[in-house]
Amino acid sequence: MPQPEGTWRRVYAGVLLYLVAVIVLFYFFTRAYR
Amino acid sequence: MRPIDWIVLFASLVSIVSYGLFRSRGSNTVDRYLLAGKSMPWYAMALSIMATQASAITFISTTGQSYTDGMRFVQAYFGLPIAMVVICATVVPIFHRTRVYTAYEYLEKRFDSKTRTLASVIFLCQRGLSAGLTIYAPAIVLSIILGWPERLTTFFMGAVVVSYTVLGGIKAVTWSDVQQMCVIFLGLIVALVTVIVLLPGNVSFSDAVYLAGAAGRLNAVTTHFDWNDRFNLWSGLIGSTFLFLSYFGCDQSQVQRYLTGRSVTESRLSLLFNAVAKIPMQFFILFIGAMVFVFYLFIQPPMLFQHAELSRIESAAAYPALAEEYQRAFDARRESALALAAAHHQGDSAAERSRVQEYRAADRRVDDVRARASVLVGQTGGEKGFRDTNYIFLSFVTRYLPAGLVGLVIAVIFAATMSASSGEINSLATVSVVDLYKRHFRRGQSDHHYLMASRWATLFWGVYAVAFAGWGKKLGSLIVAVNVVGSLFYGSLLGCFVVALGFRRVGGTAVFWGMLAGEAAVFWAFFGTGMSYLWYNALGCGVVVATALAITYLSPAGASATPASRPAQ
Repeated sequence: MPQPEGTWRRVYAGVLLYLVAVIVLFYFFTRAYR
Repeated sequence: MRPIDWIVLFASLVSIVSYGLFRSRGSNTVDRYLLAGKSMPWYAMALSIMATQASAITFISTTGQSYTDGMRFVQAYFGLPIAMVVICATVVPIFHRTRVYTAYEYLEKRFDSKTRTLASVIFLCQRGLSAGLTIYAPAIVLSIILGWPERLTTFFMGAVVVSYTVLGGIKAVTWSDVQQMCVIFLGLIVALVTVIVLLPGNVSFSDAVYLAGAAGRLNAVTTHFDWNDRFNLWSGLIGSTFLFLSYFGCDQSQVQRYLTGRSVTESRLSLLFNAVAKIPMQFFILFIGAMVFVFYLFIQPPMLFQHAELSRIESAAAYPALAEEYQRAFDARRESALALAAAHHQGDSAAERSRVQEYRAADRRVDDVRARASVLVGQTGGEKGFRDTNYIFLSFVTRYLPAGLVGLVIAVIFAATMSASSGEINSLATVSVVDLYKRHFRRGQSDHHYLMASRWATLFWGVYAVAFAGWGKKLGSLIVAVNVVGSLFYGSLLGCFVVALGFRRVGGTAVFWGMLAGEAAVFWAFFGTGMSYLWYNALGCGVVVATALAITYLSPAGASATPASRPAQ
């Protein structure tokens, strides 16, 4: 059986920041409609 | 199902399968059959990753869950972006650099053969158990809701999946997944729009959202901490991070999706797309369930959504009184919902507060009658602990959606079943051939020999999945236990990879015993505690790492046993 690169750091930080934003958004969504 | 529904269903299935097979031409070497010749673009891998994770139960059960319990299940996905970032930064470049076919192949490069074999066997046990369930669970729901013969439904879904997976390999699986996700997205959007359109004329969309929230169905974030509570912010952020690290980093059914990427960058982009898209997608599905709840505030739902069990309890002596009470409870809830919406419009906050209390009390009374009906199912010879959550959404679809759209939603269920099942069958075959057959039984054979072995292994696992699904009825409530058991194996696999990447001094023997200790700890938690399953992965992983480190640093023999001579990083 034969064998078969802004920066990444900035991308990862962006994804984690997105997660924080989603949680905050959902938190206020929950509070607004409970 | 009307004629137009059948046309929509079969047109969807034929186009999905034929497109997948068309794109898989030339899969005539092992490399192309199992890894698509490392040629896949990021968007195809991204949708394939999403489709493999989204089984039919995702749509059937999740919508029902938000109908009964609200949207807090969305928190179980909060760990996914964290896990994806960690996986992109660690294992993706290593898997690409070491040019492995399976995640477990890397373990031999890092540790030894027995660690690789143990990890492969754990994967085959876990994924093999769930492969049959993936087909069985939607088949049983479809057979009850639509009256289709259960075995015929199982056989038909299985035969379609096996045919294109055996013939086209991973290229057919991936490109079919892309099509299937398109059908799924379309079906979900149509379902939500239809629910909103079907609301009574005097109930606006903002009223519907307000009423769902007042009944506790929009509880997307719950901040209290409880070990035994499945879904809260903390089990979501911490527990599910470990779950998704295990699933996307150590489960071959997912690893194989992004191993087909033509570069590290393409593989990373496919995972990060899921990191961003998956939470909104789950929110959307749960929101559909919340809107179905509001729809049924004004249109009386059946006491139980599973009509076979409802027919069973109708002959019970206690049923007439229960039905009368249900009618009164439903009427009271509808009136209190309308009164609450009116008070909300008037902006009278004092009246609104008292109306909210009345509305919630009325909703609890409806839930109470439904709970007693479920108990009555068990008392009249039905399943003990019966719940009708999985029947709510499809019951709504078949009763109220217009012709054509029912076929589209059933096509979504089929597409989700096939995409999840094909990924499982394909990865089970890969591990069977690469990690066991080629490694231990037939070494040094030709590429054609291993290609044929891969096809036969795919056929074997496909037939096994269909046969397992066919016997599902005989397993009864055990089938539910099997689903839970599937989540018991991840912690050990994750711990093994954490040690492989993070502790260079630890050798194969130490991690081998660590994996067995981790497995024992998770089984203890499962049988001996009420701990939520989201924590099992963190527990198993922690025990593997602690045991492996203890053996390495505290035992002279352990420290010298098969050290990491080739870190492969």
